[in-house]
Amino acid sequence: MNSLKVLLRCQRNNVYIKRAATTKKKMHDPNEEEQLPIFQYPVSKSSDRRLYVWGLAETGALGIHSPLGKHRGSKSYKNDFKFAWHPMRSSFCERFDVIQIACGYGFTVAAIKTKEQHKVFGTGINTDSQIGYHAPRMGHPLEMLLSPAPIYIPYKSLETKITGLAAGRAHTLVLTDNEGVFTLGNNAYGQCGRKINKTEEYRGSMHSHNIKKLAAEKIIDVCAGQDHSLFITESGKVYSCGWGADGQTGLGNFDNQGPPGLVKGDITSEKIVKVASTVDCVLALSDKGELFGWGNSEYGQIPVTSKQQQVNMSYALINFTKGIGKIVDIAAGGSFCLICNEQGDVFVWGFGLLGLGPTVHHTANLKQIPPALFGRNEFNPESMVEKVSCGIGHLAAITNNGDLYTWGRNRHGCLGLGNNKDQHFPLKVGIGAYVLNAKCSVDHTVAICKPFV
Amino acid sequence: MVKIKNAATAFKALNGVICVYKPPCVGIPKVQHRIVTSLCRDLNNLPDRPLEQRLEIVGATNESMQVKIVPNYADDPLVCGPRYIHDDFKCSWATHLGLFSSGVLLLGLNEGTKLTYHINVGRPTRAFKVHGQLGKATDTYFWNGKTVERTTYKHITREKIDRVVAHMQAAHQRTMYQLSGLHMESETTYELASKGLIRPANSKLPVIYGLKCVHFKPPNFTLEVQSINEYDKYLWTLVHDLGVQLKASAYCTGVQCIRQGKFTLDHALLRKHWKLEHILDNMDQCRQVLEENEALLNQRSTHLN
Repeated sequence: MNSLKVLLRCQRNNVYIKRAATTKKKMHDPNEEEQLPIFQYPVSKSSDRRLYVWGLAETGALGIHSPLGKHRGSKSYKNDFKFAWHPMRSSFCERFDVIQIACGYGFTVAAIKTKEQHKVFGTGINTDSQIGYHAPRMGHPLEMLLSPAPIYIPYKSLETKITGLAAGRAHTLVLTDNEGVFTLGNNAYGQCGRKINKTEEYRGSMHSHNIKKLAAEKIIDVCAGQDHSLFITESGKVYSCGWGADGQTGLGNFDNQGPPGLVKGDITSEKIVKVASTVDCVLALSDKGELFGWGNSEYGQIPVTSKQQQVNMSYALINFTKGIGKIVDIAAGGSFCLICNEQGDVFVWGFGLLGLGPTVHHTANLKQIPPALFGRNEFNPESMVEKVSCGIGHLAAITNNGDLYTWGRNRHGCLGLGNNKDQHFPLKVGIGAYVLNAKCSVDHTVAICKPFV
Repeated sequence: MVKIKNAATAFKALNGVICVYKPPCVGIPKVQHRIVTSLCRDLNNLPDRPLEQRLEIVGATNESMQVKIVPNYADDPLVCGPRYIHDDFKCSWATHLGLFSSGVLLLGLNEGTKLTYHINVGRPTRAFKVHGQLGKATDTYFWNGKTVERTTYKHITREKIDRVVAHMQAAHQRTMYQLSGLHMESETTYELASKGLIRPANSKLPVIYGLKCVHFKPPNFTLEVQSINEYDKYLWTLVHDLGVQLKASAYCTGVQCIRQGKFTLDHALLRKHWKLEHILDNMDQCRQVLEENEALLNQRSTHLN
């Protein structure tokens, strides 16, 4: 009976609504507006950052369990969440002030601003203890983490700040402001900057190595390739260690290097401000905006006159980059290199999906990617690219408006364009914030952004 | 200014496109009606052609009759009505402007209706000034709606609004590729994309090419929008979206079309000038513009120009 009443009431309501809809539209009362409350939406602080992640989620490198909202059931996470096709906002950044981030092969590390012990967090593959020792059960260390966990690093003082992070295939470099560099993970080639021990077991290792200074100089920047590491000191010298089979250590030989050694060749007389390497080719940028390179040159990434395929010493690429002006940012991918100059133009060379259309797979000379693809047109003539970044097969560029453009091989959706198709020219990624920095890896990408308001 | 001799020659000259300034809150049919009315009035005031003559044969039939030529009163305007009436004019618009929008409006008169058809099919870009106000959201996104929300807007600065607007523009540019109907993996797409802006595949897809904040004085602001296929409601929602992205609310207070193809506000005739001599003058100007820019009538390129 009750339910019948409810039904009847509903029907009556319907009739009422219908009748109201047929009546003439009333003019609204201006006083009604005065009675409305004035909302104040929360506004971000200038220090607030947002972290967007996309790509392969199966490894846990994104630190996200399941897409929010869709299948929120009794289980706290779903195991079948494999790919993030679009940029997803990570909640980790809402809880901590993330200052640095690095993407390794299937794992991500992030440094936060804090005065407590845990300053660095890691998530993803942990087969070589590259993101520390995590064992819920004694003696059974985890080989994969699905959400960020703190990495234990023996700091001398809790006041220490993290100023840089880098991650390679299976090792992590943590740069601090006055305690030097801490290295974690695989040291089979010496990439952690210590002596190679052939019998060492890296799984479940609690070892972390500290490189305080190099030749009595403070380290100001670190960079990790596949299995090698690069360090820049205060005077602009570059040291390297790790795998050297393709000459990527730049030490004049093809041997593996344990403790870091000074890179030889043309850069010894220069002040280097940035080095870039993702796999086995290294680019270096001097304070004058000149380009240097060494390492693998199978696809002509390091165009030296002798046509070597492995360049084991640094070479100046000044003649190669002649006429494009001062270089601002550099990035080296798996088989190609990407640079941008002061005018905001982007240049590319090497092999792969370079962003020069579907027919161009290889270019030995510097080729400019048409600026129209980065949004420079008659309505917006001041758009220029300020930062570039490379994964193994994909490329990314950030414009002065904080827009991120990606292109290249779309392995597991690492381009964040909503599909798994390869992209032959730069396309904007849909991120609702001002992108400050983007880090690419094998199959996932992370962007640090600033909210607009 | 052209010397007008009589109504007939003036009427013959009235074949072409004119560019008028449409006031807000007046619909296009009203504008057309008003222009045609004033044209009729001005034409009827001009020196008329001589009255038609009528042959009259008078007199008794059994003697020689008299042949007389007398004025034909059936042709007198006092009998048959004014010489030029509404039905003598065809008038059509090139691209539509909503009731509440104002600005440049292209109208075709008589033979000019064919030209407006070609302009319409060619889809010229239009530039708008969209005025908005922060702190209030309405259910229609326009000033005529009912207020649904009020918010604070003190936190919004010029810098922030510029960033959001730049972001919105870049997002529209990505949709431009999707709406162009091109296959993303083809060489043609790449070649077209690397040259610049591409037109949408059909006339139903609004695309925004340029978006800029040109005036900001809280709570009022003005956006300059360059677009194709947009309509007034689409521009209102743009303002609303901007408000939401700025963590506030906003509604549109006015839409003004400042450019249509190559026709700018300088060409547009104000309401006080909707008179025969000004309209004839304006038609000459418009003819010149159309002659200089053939692309307006015959749009063959996929690029924006």
